[in-house]
Amino acid sequence: MNLKPTIGIETHIELNTNTKMFCRCKVVDTEEPNISLCPTCIGLPGALPVPNEKAIRYITLLALATGCAITKKGMFHRKNYFYPDLPKNYQISQFDLPVGENGKLEIVIDNEKDYVEIERVHMEEDTGKSSHEGTGRIDSATSTSLDFNRSGVPLVEIVTKPVIQSSKVAVAYIEELRQLAIDLDISEGKLEKGNLRFDANISVAPSESDELGTKVEIKNMNSLRSLERAIDYEIKRQSSAIENGESIIQETRHWDESKETTTSMRSKEGSADYRYFSDPDLPNMVLSDEFVNQVKDSLPPLPHENRNKLVETGLDLSDANVLSKSEKWILELYFEVFDNTKDSKATFNWITGELQGQMRKLEIKSLPEWFSPAFLSDVIKLIDENKISFTSGKVILEELIQKDTTPDDVAKKLDLYQENDESAISEIVNEVIKDNQDIVERIKNGEDKLVGFMVGQIIKSSGGSINPGIAKEILSKELNL
Amino acid sequence: MDLLNLSIRELNNLFVNKKAKPSELYSEVFDRSASSEAALHAHLSLFEETNLKKAKNSDQRFSNSENVGLLDGIPLAIKDNINIKNEKTTCSSKMLSNFISPYNATVISKLDTEQAIYTGKTNLDEFAMGSSTENSAFGLTRNPWNTDYVPGGSSGGSAASVASRSSIAALGSDTGGSIRQPASFCGLVGFKPTYGTVSRYGLIAFASSLDQIGPISKSVDDARIIYSAISGHDSLDSTSINDEQIDMPFDKNATIGIVKELMEDGISEESKKEVDKVINILKQKGFNIKEVSLPLIKLSISIYYLIAPAECSANLARFDGVRYGLRVDGKTSYEMMENTRAEGFGDEVKRRILLGTYALSAGYYDEYYGKALRARKKMVDEFSSIFKECDYLISPTTPTEAFKAGEKTSNPLEMYMSDLCTIPANLAGLPAISIPTGLSSSNLPLGVQIMSKPLTDNSLLNFSEMLEKELDFNRTPEGWSK
Repeated sequence: MNLKPTIGIETHIELNTNTKMFCRCKVVDTEEPNISLCPTCIGLPGALPVPNEKAIRYITLLALATGCAITKKGMFHRKNYFYPDLPKNYQISQFDLPVGENGKLEIVIDNEKDYVEIERVHMEEDTGKSSHEGTGRIDSATSTSLDFNRSGVPLVEIVTKPVIQSSKVAVAYIEELRQLAIDLDISEGKLEKGNLRFDANISVAPSESDELGTKVEIKNMNSLRSLERAIDYEIKRQSSAIENGESIIQETRHWDESKETTTSMRSKEGSADYRYFSDPDLPNMVLSDEFVNQVKDSLPPLPHENRNKLVETGLDLSDANVLSKSEKWILELYFEVFDNTKDSKATFNWITGELQGQMRKLEIKSLPEWFSPAFLSDVIKLIDENKISFTSGKVILEELIQKDTTPDDVAKKLDLYQENDESAISEIVNEVIKDNQDIVERIKNGEDKLVGFMVGQIIKSSGGSINPGIAKEILSKELNL
Repeated sequence: MDLLNLSIRELNNLFVNKKAKPSELYSEVFDRSASSEAALHAHLSLFEETNLKKAKNSDQRFSNSENVGLLDGIPLAIKDNINIKNEKTTCSSKMLSNFISPYNATVISKLDTEQAIYTGKTNLDEFAMGSSTENSAFGLTRNPWNTDYVPGGSSGGSAASVASRSSIAALGSDTGGSIRQPASFCGLVGFKPTYGTVSRYGLIAFASSLDQIGPISKSVDDARIIYSAISGHDSLDSTSINDEQIDMPFDKNATIGIVKELMEDGISEESKKEVDKVINILKQKGFNIKEVSLPLIKLSISIYYLIAPAECSANLARFDGVRYGLRVDGKTSYEMMENTRAEGFGDEVKRRILLGTYALSAGYYDEYYGKALRARKKMVDEFSSIFKECDYLISPTTPTEAFKAGEKTSNPLEMYMSDLCTIPANLAGLPAISIPTGLSSSNLPLGVQIMSKPLTDNSLLNFSEMLEKELDFNRTPEGWSK
């Protein structure tokens, strides 16, 4: 049987506002529990919610950036369910009138553009954090500790349509969404901190079927690795169940990182009825045309727009995608260096390979103040003009990162400029030939691989100043190869 | 000097002219509240010590001519669903019997600025759900006019406190008539302001879209003084509105509508007679009077008993034993929450939570809650069009005089009917007032309700004050002075 998987993803992104969604408590990043609380975010009787305008602005930014239609007269709804870390035992969320609907997000798969359709973008408040002692599960824990610092922190939830067909696309989608949130400056986008958390709805159905199979939801993942493996596992599990004639139960499953399996959490049959209704404590969320236009005008360049610009410089889409997901200064550096070199591939390789590699090795996060983008274009040009070797370029770059100097100074100081005068090179070549008659003999007898040895000897006797290409060329001429 | 029957303005006058001191008033109030407590049980707590100090500070301000306003040194009783910092707020529920609020309601912060004094917290139906103050986990309150009778509810403690002169005036909250109905049962003025003009921050919610804090007082002027102190936009309440009052005539240029549907079956002859009395006064004064019809008023109890329970089912979900209030242990967190709620809430509260949960459930939402919302919207439209032809609408406040304690406790539906006349103003967010008009044949007070369009609170008070003068009710229940 030919089977096809279908995946939909719900992502919660924690917004980087200073204060919480419905009160003015600071959003804190600390292990110390319960230090940023007020009557509203711990649900004291009589306390009321007041919306955070900045958070609504951020959500509108994301909705616009994903091409959603904006709901002008939206609403806050109460989503009712009991859980100890949900102080009011309802969560203020949005239901049928979210901030944005029907958008799409461009992603890059194998050097090709693809799109993931977005169903909705809406506001939610976060819950507190529970730590269950003993078994790690609420229904069998010996005790549960609660931290409400996170309670009421603004979240934006982005729900895709069920259009994703593989874990690869799912991962590319999350990477793109994360970058978008960072570029919009609405979230730190740190997966390891749980700034992005995702639920995947996965179903498998016969390829020729127009209907989707029974969906299984995998809740609360926060790493790309988990997402990828959980989806792959679940597709395999469901496929073999279907092939064995078993039926899939609609349920919520949990991804067990250590066992690399999904396990059943609860059945969705007779599942939670959230009894959504509009929150009477909050007036309608009216987003005026003026507000929406103003937010639209403030949109920064988006990742897909950056990619388009990068492709215009001559990069392929895949490399452009890598750069579009780099830090902002890297992107800026690329364009500045490219302006001088007009060599997209070399610029890309030097930045993503050598420069970032050296920085990683030296454990530095940003370039020193003295480092001008012109340094990098100078190095690339010197190599291009055969004035220095590629290896020398690396040496120069390493110096430039660590010392306030210039490429020219380094090249001179370390004597890295190459000898390009043919007669001078011929002289050295002939000397080496004279000193290595036995090798020359063996080369002439067909041991081609010894040419490399000879080139090495030539470079060595020149003190490294001869361009290997030219050395090889002259050696071949002298030996009539 | 018997200060207890005086109005706020009269008392302030005495203080300013140094003929009486706030501390003297406070002593009289405290003596009265303490002595009436056994018979009435109007209060759940009385704050003696801190208050005497506050009253003496007020003495000092008056003697230095540094007094801040009309409410300086005036003892007010506060319904026990309004948070006063560092005091218990129980909502008359076992669930909150140990809850001490760490913060002030906005109305309390505002009254603090005015240097008002709080005599104590008053009894109510649990979480303000009821019409008789019998649904209190801490015992029922009785009517000062006749202790066999209920004082009304849910702000029955506040009404009994003011009627027995145990406080000068009181704050209540009104979700379906909880200020106006007890005021009427106790011969007092009860005023529910336009929804949104008084902040709900710190009022423990029953039904958020209907709840409104307001005064219960001996006179319209007292109500006005308190209303002007507690109203105004509050950035802590998103449903709070800018109190931009619309002026309306309150002399004979005003048009008066008599609500036909509230003068029909289900309303006692005595209640109708009080309306007739008021109408005659207005006729004599040359007002233009007409009968108007608001057909949807007949549905108001049905609409209300879907919307209010639905909102309360979510509002009261936070009482789970996790963070504050009662906790009854269980083997798991969920069992603990279940045990806490089973033990902490009384029957009426449970009844409404169940009703609301049902009305919001998947498959029933459209038929019940959704339909109620649509009907509410239509009722608002009905009122809007009536207010194009009328300035004030007159009706009885209650279908009958006060009923006897225990008379309706076994029949919730009958109890719900006592809010027939008052619920429409909550559904439409209108300002509405009950003023006392006379006594029934059993010597119990009766009142008349006047409603007007949103944001005409001041004009409504002016109009009511004019009627108050004409009616000259001015009667106090006997037996509470010494």
